Amino acid sequence: MSAPSVPYIRQTAGAGAARAAQRSRGHGSERRPGWVTYSLLTLAILVFASPIYYAFLLASSDAATIAQNPIPSLIPQSNFLENAGKVLASDINFWKALTNSVIVAVITSVSVVLFSTLAGFSFAKLRFRGRTGLLLFVIATTAVPTQLGIVPLFIVMAELGWLGKLIAVIVPGLVTAFGVFWMTQYLESALPYELIEAARVDGASMIRTFWSIALPAARPAAVMLGLFAFVGSWTNFFWPFIVLGSTNPTLPVALQLLQASYFKDMSLIMSGVVLSAIPLLILFVVAGRQLVAGIMAGAVKG
Amino acid sequence: MRKTTRKAWALAAGVTGIALVATACSSSDDAGTDGDDATADGGNITLTVATFNEFGYTDEMFDRYEAEHPGVTIEQKVAATSNEARENLNTRLAAGSGTADIEAIEVDWLPELLLYPDYFEDLSSPDVEGRWLDWKVEQATTPDGKLIGYGTDIGPEGIAYRADLFEAAGLPTDRDEVAELFGGDDATWEGFFEVGKTYTAATGKPFFDSASAIYQGMVNQEEAAYEDPETGDVIALDNPRVKEMYEQVTTAAATDNLSAHFSQWSDDWTNSFQTDGFAVMLAPGWMLGVIEGNAAGVEGWDLADVFPGGAGNWGGSFLTVPEQGANVEAAKELAAWLTAPEQQIEAFTNKGTFPSQVEALDSDEIKSATNEFFNNAPVGAILANRAQGVVVPFKGPQYFTIQDAISNAIVEVDVNGADPAAQWDSFVQVVQGLG
Amino acid sequence: MATSTTQPRAGRQLPDSPRPPRRVGFSQTLGRWDVKVSPYLYISPFFLLFGLTGLFPLAYTAYVSVYDWHLLGGQGDFAGFSNFAFVFQEPNFWKGLRNTFSIFLLSTIPQLMVAVVLAAVLDANLRAKTFWRMGVLVPYVVAPVAVSLIFGKIFADQSGLANSLLGVIGIDPIKWHGAVLPSHIAVATMVNFRWTGYNTLILLAAMQAVPRELYEAAVIDGASRLRQFFSVTIPQIRPTVIFVVITSTIGGLQIFDEPRLFDQLGQGGPGRQWMTVTMYIYELGFGNQKSFGRAAAVAWVLFLIILAVGMLNFWLTRRIASDATPKEARRKKVKR
Repeated sequence: MSAPSVPYIRQTAGAGAARAAQRSRGHGSERRPGWVTYSLLTLAILVFASPIYYAFLLASSDAATIAQNPIPSLIPQSNFLENAGKVLASDINFWKALTNSVIVAVITSVSVVLFSTLAGFSFAKLRFRGRTGLLLFVIATTAVPTQLGIVPLFIVMAELGWLGKLIAVIVPGLVTAFGVFWMTQYLESALPYELIEAARVDGASMIRTFWSIALPAARPAAVMLGLFAFVGSWTNFFWPFIVLGSTNPTLPVALQLLQASYFKDMSLIMSGVVLSAIPLLILFVVAGRQLVAGIMAGAVKG
Repeated sequence: MRKTTRKAWALAAGVTGIALVATACSSSDDAGTDGDDATADGGNITLTVATFNEFGYTDEMFDRYEAEHPGVTIEQKVAATSNEARENLNTRLAAGSGTADIEAIEVDWLPELLLYPDYFEDLSSPDVEGRWLDWKVEQATTPDGKLIGYGTDIGPEGIAYRADLFEAAGLPTDRDEVAELFGGDDATWEGFFEVGKTYTAATGKPFFDSASAIYQGMVNQEEAAYEDPETGDVIALDNPRVKEMYEQVTTAAATDNLSAHFSQWSDDWTNSFQTDGFAVMLAPGWMLGVIEGNAAGVEGWDLADVFPGGAGNWGGSFLTVPEQGANVEAAKELAAWLTAPEQQIEAFTNKGTFPSQVEALDSDEIKSATNEFFNNAPVGAILANRAQGVVVPFKGPQYFTIQDAISNAIVEVDVNGADPAAQWDSFVQVVQGLG
Repeated sequence: MATSTTQPRAGRQLPDSPRPPRRVGFSQTLGRWDVKVSPYLYISPFFLLFGLTGLFPLAYTAYVSVYDWHLLGGQGDFAGFSNFAFVFQEPNFWKGLRNTFSIFLLSTIPQLMVAVVLAAVLDANLRAKTFWRMGVLVPYVVAPVAVSLIFGKIFADQSGLANSLLGVIGIDPIKWHGAVLPSHIAVATMVNFRWTGYNTLILLAAMQAVPRELYEAAVIDGASRLRQFFSVTIPQIRPTVIFVVITSTIGGLQIFDEPRLFDQLGQGGPGRQWMTVTMYIYELGFGNQKSFGRAAAVAWVLFLIILAVGMLNFWLTRRIASDATPKEARRKKVKR
């Protein structure tokens, strides 16, 4: 049952054939699922979305109402814009935090994808001394609890003079062991040796092979890794808090400041939460189709 | 076609990447004087002030100082909670760099920080002699006499009560009468619990919110609860007072059922403000804002000028100057200014942080401060009264470990219905395992 | 740059082929160098960065664990293994271990089962695919702090939503913050909420790659949908399942944020009902004792435990997910 993989077909027979192969590989011929499936899905989505909806309910209410009734209402009230306005106008540096978060998230996700694919390509398809050992080492490092790493990492950042600068948050996130493991695992099965051989025989250098063969084959996993890395970076709180502080914050750090008083105004805090989730949700809506298509570009195991 | 598209993407990615990285490297904030590399070009310095919660310092205040001290720019860094600020400070002290020029600390951190006074500058100076209440200064002074913090606010406590619930129980409602009910200036904890029994007998409802909070109030009045000030030995198990207080509190909570069985700050506790969950709680100045927020829409809260045992203090902060900073002299000056009576009064007007400066306590602003939510009680005068005669308990390095252990035991009994004797045994185990 | 279709393998080129002979010598040496050096070059960015931000903290922690080291006081005397010995006789350590394993099992197992089922459902030819598939990732978007605030309101012991709902069906209120197992369930729920969608997408991507012909063959053989799922889908996505199990194991034994935010104090409950080992590490290092040395010791013990459990899970999954269809023969690596 070794049908040629889609990337292989793309290489050998061109893009059109690849698309045709993918279409026939896709599940277009399968019968549409029934209402049971859709009910299950709707239930799942409702469960997943309910806390966010609840956050929005709180955000659209006000402190007094929330104090009196943990579930202020079933339908959003009208205070959201007012609360959001307060958040944006407060001295938590919202716009700066938003910009910082975007910068950090974009750089780290691109870099994670790039370096992880490079390393994954090496581990999966290239043969070199110490390969297995190093790979196991990489996986093992994810098992180390990070809570204590704060102090030595902070020392490193202080030595480099990077305290308070975005680069102190970016550099530790540039490449992750998880990403390397993920790409290794994926390329192992998704990148057939024939492609690499074909390219090598043609005289392509390693870097050429990587760029033109490995990256496209890795695209589904790369897109997914990028998405996870982006969201992970966006919601990361503790390290940016320690190293950046409130004057040059990322979004979660800035929003935490909304809790800076003995009495916590839930409606304000939840407004911050919603405002912080909105850019990601917009990303999902706008780029969702591409993301999903990228993820689902089925590279078939050859 | 595909080649060009791919190349175009690569180019775009590359350019964007370079642009972003460039922005990242340069977009540190404009005055990132985190520690050693402070900008000191020809007399212009930037001082960073790290605070948490709400200290009441506004930009106007800082602008005024900057106007009076040309060449100085002030930047405030805020942490949302004191716990986060503490983690921040500890990390930076442990790493040896990165602290702000002025670091705000809380009184609870002092037992530990006083063990390592070398991290901080000595702030004693004849200029500020006598500025604060004695016990406040004592809290931040090492045995050798080094003063590591200038006091900002304090948390003298009164008893906040629900006048309407008292009325339903047949108890007096006027705050002076309530003070008398608890015993006035000679109020004792026994008296407090007696009132509680009367209330609960009459209404069948809980009297106070949390047993561990009451215990906190009690133990903070003990001069040496857990450790011997002279030798530093742990005496928690030998000190009969500890077991006494534990039993008093657990009896009141479990047997007499005077407690509403909450852990303070939990969701249940917060929600109970709306459901008449309890009638009384120990209230320092900063708690008044919390009560007001949680009890929005509820009428009947008032503050009585009384505290069992005479006086109690809960919380309070200081400004310290870490010695690793680059501008310690200027920082000391700023810290002294910020903790001067005038500025502290201003902070009080802004955020309700109750001053620790003697002059401020005597000022008109404090004396005439009232709180509308609490039935227009003269909170300033009440709390100023309650600030007299506070005992500073000795807190050594093991204090908080022991305190946490006993507090956990009490919570287990109060909130989770555990057996008091068994919990005491676990507490004993923890204490014995120390060191 | 597309290669032409049928290229004879190198080495089988006939000596008198009309093609001009390749330049040998330098470029060939370069080519060989390329092959030898590239792998190391490609993994070097990772290791360089990792050396700075991952390895140094690791080594530092190991070094610290054999000293009496107070966070503020600095390095003390050499302590050998006394930190480790201390930790093993601390009841809180064992409680932490118990809690960690319990929460791990309560979160990982349901999570993976739901993720597999959900992925299978999403694998179908749905309308509005994008909406459903992105929808499962929505919980991942909400910051952990917010999730905890929200779930705190649900799992409050007296006034929470969960107990109100239970009351409606006539069940007594459960001590979500007081009893051990309920607190684990509550924390596990928070963890599952956040991570199920994530794992679903990973498994879905793997499922999408399963060739249709296999399903068609199974249908011809008369297999029901369920049979197809167990005999075709699962074995085919086995590598991914292994990956997900390993990463979930490693992550699940290190759960920190959710239990920490489950109450205001962050200690894991007055009786340490839900304190995980990572929380214990944090408390040892940054809490009242500030014993950096002991915290480092626990960190290394946890690390070893995770390695052991990870390997166990790897072995287990391989056995469970294997099946009658022959394994893909591994491609022979081409020697140069």
